[in-house]
Amino acid sequence: MTQAVAVPGQLLGPADRYAAGAGTHIHESNLYSSLLGTVAVAQPEKAPGPAKRLTRIAALAAGNNSGGNSNNPNNSSSNSGGNRNSLPTISVSRSGVSEKREVLPEVGNVVLCRVTRITPRHASVAILVVGDTVLEAEWQGLVRVQDVRATEKDRVKIYESFRPGDIVRAQVISLGDQANYYLSTASNELGVIMATSEAGNPMFPVSWKEYKDPETGISEPRKVAKPF
Amino acid sequence: MADRRRINGPVGQTNPPIYDTPQEKRIAKRPGDNAVRKIFLKTGVTPSASGSAYLEIDDPFAIRPSGTNLKLTCTVHGPRALPRSAPFSPHIILSTHVKYAPFATRQRRGYLRDSSERDLGVHLETALRGAIIADRWPKSGVDIIVTIIEGDQNRDSPDYDRDEGWDMMNVLSGCITVASAAIADAGIDCVDTVAGGVAALAAQDEKSQPSIVLDPDVASYHKIFAACCVAYLPTRDEVTNVWFKGQLPGADAMLYNKMVERSLVACRNANRVLIQSLSETINPGQNVS
Repeated sequence: MTQAVAVPGQLLGPADRYAAGAGTHIHESNLYSSLLGTVAVAQPEKAPGPAKRLTRIAALAAGNNSGGNSNNPNNSSSNSGGNRNSLPTISVSRSGVSEKREVLPEVGNVVLCRVTRITPRHASVAILVVGDTVLEAEWQGLVRVQDVRATEKDRVKIYESFRPGDIVRAQVISLGDQANYYLSTASNELGVIMATSEAGNPMFPVSWKEYKDPETGISEPRKVAKPF
Repeated sequence: MADRRRINGPVGQTNPPIYDTPQEKRIAKRPGDNAVRKIFLKTGVTPSASGSAYLEIDDPFAIRPSGTNLKLTCTVHGPRALPRSAPFSPHIILSTHVKYAPFATRQRRGYLRDSSERDLGVHLETALRGAIIADRWPKSGVDIIVTIIEGDQNRDSPDYDRDEGWDMMNVLSGCITVASAAIADAGIDCVDTVAGGVAALAAQDEKSQPSIVLDPDVASYHKIFAACCVAYLPTRDEVTNVWFKGQLPGADAMLYNKMVERSLVACRNANRVLIQSLSETINPGQNVS
């Protein structure tokens, strides 16, 4: 079976019959591909496309649609907002081209990262995985002391929550400053998921705030993530 | 200062020997002035880069081994994190580097980029910026590096002094097309595939009237009066960059418009090759309409 190929700039269909998915853009109330890849049309009953770029596309579609309405009198803004969910989503994926598709961390994504250094105010991390995608490049992130947990924020100490080398599950809360994404672990599911002790042994979680070394029996404080 | 870590070639230009009987003038035996030379384009040639492409415009009348060929390779690195010193950017930062290989032209090039190479880089960046959807990639940068392996100059023509840099037009149009292919290969969002094309006002020999030709093979014309390189988005019908060089005879006021229009024809031709080449990367060996 051959899949439909899209090159950047290729017309995919009118914007009032399809919803824009990943790898597409809207120009003058038409949907165009913006990537080289294979076209996929997802019916609205199914999960509408990969969730990793969803927030961005919704904003883009809404913004372009309101601008394009002047050219297209049939498409009033009230019904276009209403039946957006019932439209099939058309998206262009890179699956046929190459496996290495770079994705960016976006606000709301759950990421896996490794702690690189800690200071009293924040922990610096390197983001390794966004959603289900392993990143090609390493992106810097920052967990500030007020974002470590949701309660008793004033008593949080970074060195009792993270240590360099820990693997942390966190959520992106902001694109941050020029260098770092800002991350948060203020949720039960978020926090340290893998840790090694000072003796260098892998540890297991024993409570919400402790990891224990099975060989030496010494426990160390961490912001522990709830196991799945 | 000379770079002591590399084995440097001879300083200055090295010319091939000139024989007593000068080789005869190259004659443009084109099917017509509207024909462009054949383009070879292939993506994914550099495994270590995020995206890459190779473009070759071959001399159709290559009876001698040293014809005037254009060979370009482009690598795209990124999107990747910006350096820590860079300020916050809500969109992708393009940086383009165009470099002639030391052996690409008759005049040997240095290892550092000179002003003409930087100039090509600026033109290339302008051409690409109009095609890329920059705000899909906040806080990231992409490096686009084009290396010119062979610079579309006739190596055994004895009249070296006639080199007025017209070949740079062809080089830029090739750079735009090859970079566009490499960006698509890298998976960076674009509104369209941008392609470059050249039209020139050229005279075949001393007696003939100048006429507008597409994709001028510089060495085979007696004189080129003006040339125009355009970067064009065919689906959108938008021009992202125009580089016009030379002097137009004052008689015809519409000549400038005509030349730009003719370059758009060359752009569409290059774009057809680009689309075909990109489609083949997904379904190899299959013809895609």
